[in-house]
Parts: sequence; structure tokens; C-alpha cells
Amino acid sequence: MTELISLFVGMALINNFILVKFLGLCPFFGVSKKLSSAVSMGAAVTFVMFIASTATWIITRYILIPFEVEFMDIVIYILVIASLVQIIELFIIRTSFALYNAFGIYLALITTNCAVLGITLLNARESYSLPESIAAALGAGIGFTLVLAIMSGIRERLEIADSPKSMKGLPVAFITATLLGLAFSGFGGMI
Amino acid sequence: MNPVIILILTAMGMLSSAIIYLAYVKIPHKVKGIERIEEISGALPGVNCGACGFAGCFGYAQELSKDTKMITEKPCPVALQSSETIRNLEKVLDIKLDASALRKKALLHCCGGNSEIIYNYSGVESCKAAAQLWGGYKKCPYACLGFGDCLKACPYDAISIDKEKNIAVIDFEKCTGCGLCVSECPHNLIELVPAGTKVSFRCSYEPLRDIPGRGKCQYGCIHCRKCFNACEFDAITWNKEEAIPEFNIEKCTLCGKCIEICPQDTLAFFNKTDAEIKSPSAV
Repeated sequence: MTELISLFVGMALINNFILVKFLGLCPFFGVSKKLSSAVSMGAAVTFVMFIASTATWIITRYILIPFEVEFMDIVIYILVIASLVQIIELFIIRTSFALYNAFGIYLALITTNCAVLGITLLNARESYSLPESIAAALGAGIGFTLVLAIMSGIRERLEIADSPKSMKGLPVAFITATLLGLAFSGFGGMI
Repeated sequence: MNPVIILILTAMGMLSSAIIYLAYVKIPHKVKGIERIEEISGALPGVNCGACGFAGCFGYAQELSKDTKMITEKPCPVALQSSETIRNLEKVLDIKLDASALRKKALLHCCGGNSEIIYNYSGVESCKAAAQLWGGYKKCPYACLGFGDCLKACPYDAISIDKEKNIAVIDFEKCTGCGLCVSECPHNLIELVPAGTKVSFRCSYEPLRDIPGRGKCQYGCIHCRKCFNACEFDAITWNKEEAIPEFNIEKCTLCGKCIEICPQDTLAFFNKTDAEIKSPSAV
């Protein structure tokens, strides 16, 4: 159990997907303008990471390894994640409209997100067991949400701050991202 | 190449598509009215551009399912471009759509003219900021200030600034009638009018305060009713409350008499360029 917790914390903070592994940088800058949309995006990513790593673990364990085709993982994972997200979206639209409105269009955006593919590939590389995969996926998702929320909070303030004209918008966001990355590098070597 | 790879890939692909198909058929429609929304969104263009003001075509279909009549107030500009989409929408929504009446274009109710400059403005280059200071630097309080707030809002490059007159110019061809510029203008000069509008009234004004035409600008309407009297086809009605002419699209024959007789040059053909108007063949 302690191993799972340390894996979870390690994925969320020490090996943070955005600031340490540089995965999912597109939503990091694209969806971090408003806190509410950042949290929705983070929740959707966490949810899809959880589902995808469970599904791909089963496929790796019972299809890829017995047939010795582990090198095909990227192709198979993309196929599985894309169709999974489609089904989940369909299910959510038809059964719970409130949930669909909360997730909005983010669910469809995640279909080809590299952070989701990254966590499944990482699970396969490290040959984690099923509980370990789930802990890693949840940790990565929570870390992703955390960084997105912090970034959007900073950017909301930056919007009204008096920054030089040439630095307005994205440039100052890039600098903020590097400072945020510096702060997160302080977690390195904690576990 | 190992045949097992091909086999596994094919099997996985077919399995996924089969599961998605099964999900599409089998998942129950528990949310009330969801079938209707799916049906409507199927008839929409499906490009998710957001020009209607909702989050994608699905969001638009959601609103349409509540009230089909709102399509005339907030029509989908993309659907109006193609007659086939309009027909599909008519069938699904069970209403009649008059596309040519719905298609809108932006019209600027100011022709710049030579409104006197009352002070030298050297602040932020924005109409909204300039309008805060005595309603702008031009003598006419309803003048276009020409800093291009509308230009920044336009996603289609349809607006440019005429440097000479210092006003915005809207390109009829490029304008899609999305209406994003309307709320940008601090003087409320831009109005969405039907695309079939023939004569544009290029002056904005509030009758209760003062008359912009007199002493403020060479081109402003002076409410002389000459255009109303000149029209032989009953296409112009006189709005007594606001003391401005109103144009009937169907009755107007584009004869150009009202434009000719206007002493102030307030009127102009709507969807023609200046060059076309000057050449007599266009009239």
C-alpha cells in the first residue's frame, strides 16, 4: 500500500507530467486561461487516464505479451484510447447531461492527447501491475490538474497585470511556466 | 512481416468499430429529448465553428430542441450558405426558412464625412477609450472614431479602416453577418441588416438630443424627407418618431433616385462599391 501511495505522489509531484516530463503541453497553454475550464479539462484527463490505463493494461497482459508483439503498443493504444473515449462520450451524453455539460468539449479533445498516451506507454515500459497502473494514472491525472489549475490562476491575475506590451499574453505565460517548472524541480529526489 | 501482427491489428480495429456501433445502438436514451437533439445536430453543418454563439453544433441543437423559432433570431450562418443544409433543417425542424431574409450583413451607420475635430486625442488607440472623453474627438457625437475596435473583433478580415475619412469600411463580400463587431462599437453604429438590403442609411442619430446633420457633419441626415418624396415605388416609408426613412427591400427597384436627390449624401447603395456607383451602368 505504501508503494502505491509513493507511486501516486511521485507521479503527481516529482515526475509531474507537464513540468518534468513535458507531456500535454498543448492543453497546458491552450486551456489554462480560465480556472473553471482548466479544472474541467483536468478532471476529464484524469478520468480518461484512469480508464485508458486499465483497458490498455488488460490488452497488454492478455494480447500483446502472449503474442509477443509488444512493439506494436503505440498503434494499439491509440486505437483503444480513441474508441474508448468515443464510447464514453456517447454514454455520458445519453445518460447524464449534467456531466456532459461539465466535461463539455474537453472529452473529445483528449482523444489524441499525448499525456494520455504517455501514461499508458509508461505503464507498459515499467511493466506495472494493475493496481500500480491505476495508481500511476490517477497520480499523473491529479498532477496534471494541479499544474493546470495553478497556471490558470496565475494567468487570470496576469491578464489584468500591467506587463510590457511585447510580453502580453503568451510570452509572459512561457516565462511563468519556466518559473513554475523551477519550483516543481524542488520536489526532485524527495522519494 | 509477421502475419500475427496484421491479424491482431485487423481484429482490434474491427472489434473497436463493432463496439462503437453496438454502443451507438444499445446505449439507452435516458436523458429526455436527447434523440431529438441528436437528430437536429445531424442536420446542422457539424463544423463546430461557434459563429451562432453556442458551444459547437451540439450546443446549438440543444437550444433548437427547446425552441425551434429561435433559428430566425440566431440563425446558423454556415447553414445559410448552402441550400441543401437549409432543406435538411427545414425537414427536421418542420418549419419554413426564408434563407435570403435571414442572411445578414453588417452595416455601418456613419459615412465619416468631415465632422470637425474638436480636440487632439492622443490616448489609447481604441474607440472605447476615445468615446469616454466627451463622446470622442469628432464634433458629431455619433461619429465613427476609426480606431478599429470592430476590425479587431472581425475574424474574417471584412473590416478595414479608411485612413482619409478615418472610419471603418465593411467589405460586403467578406462579411458573413456573424455580428461580432456589433457589440464592439461604443457608438452603436453597426447594425446587422438583411443581406438583400439595397439602400444603406449611413447616419446614426438620436432624435431627442440633437440633429447630427446640421452643423456637425456635411453628410449627416437633416430629415428633409426628400428621399421619401422622390421614391416612385412606395419603397420608402417615413418613420415619424425617429424622423428617418425606412426602406422596403421588395419594393425597391434600385433606381437610385433617393440617393441622387439626397442633399447630404447620407444614402448609398448597400452592396456596391464606390466605383460601381459612380459608373452610370450600375444605376
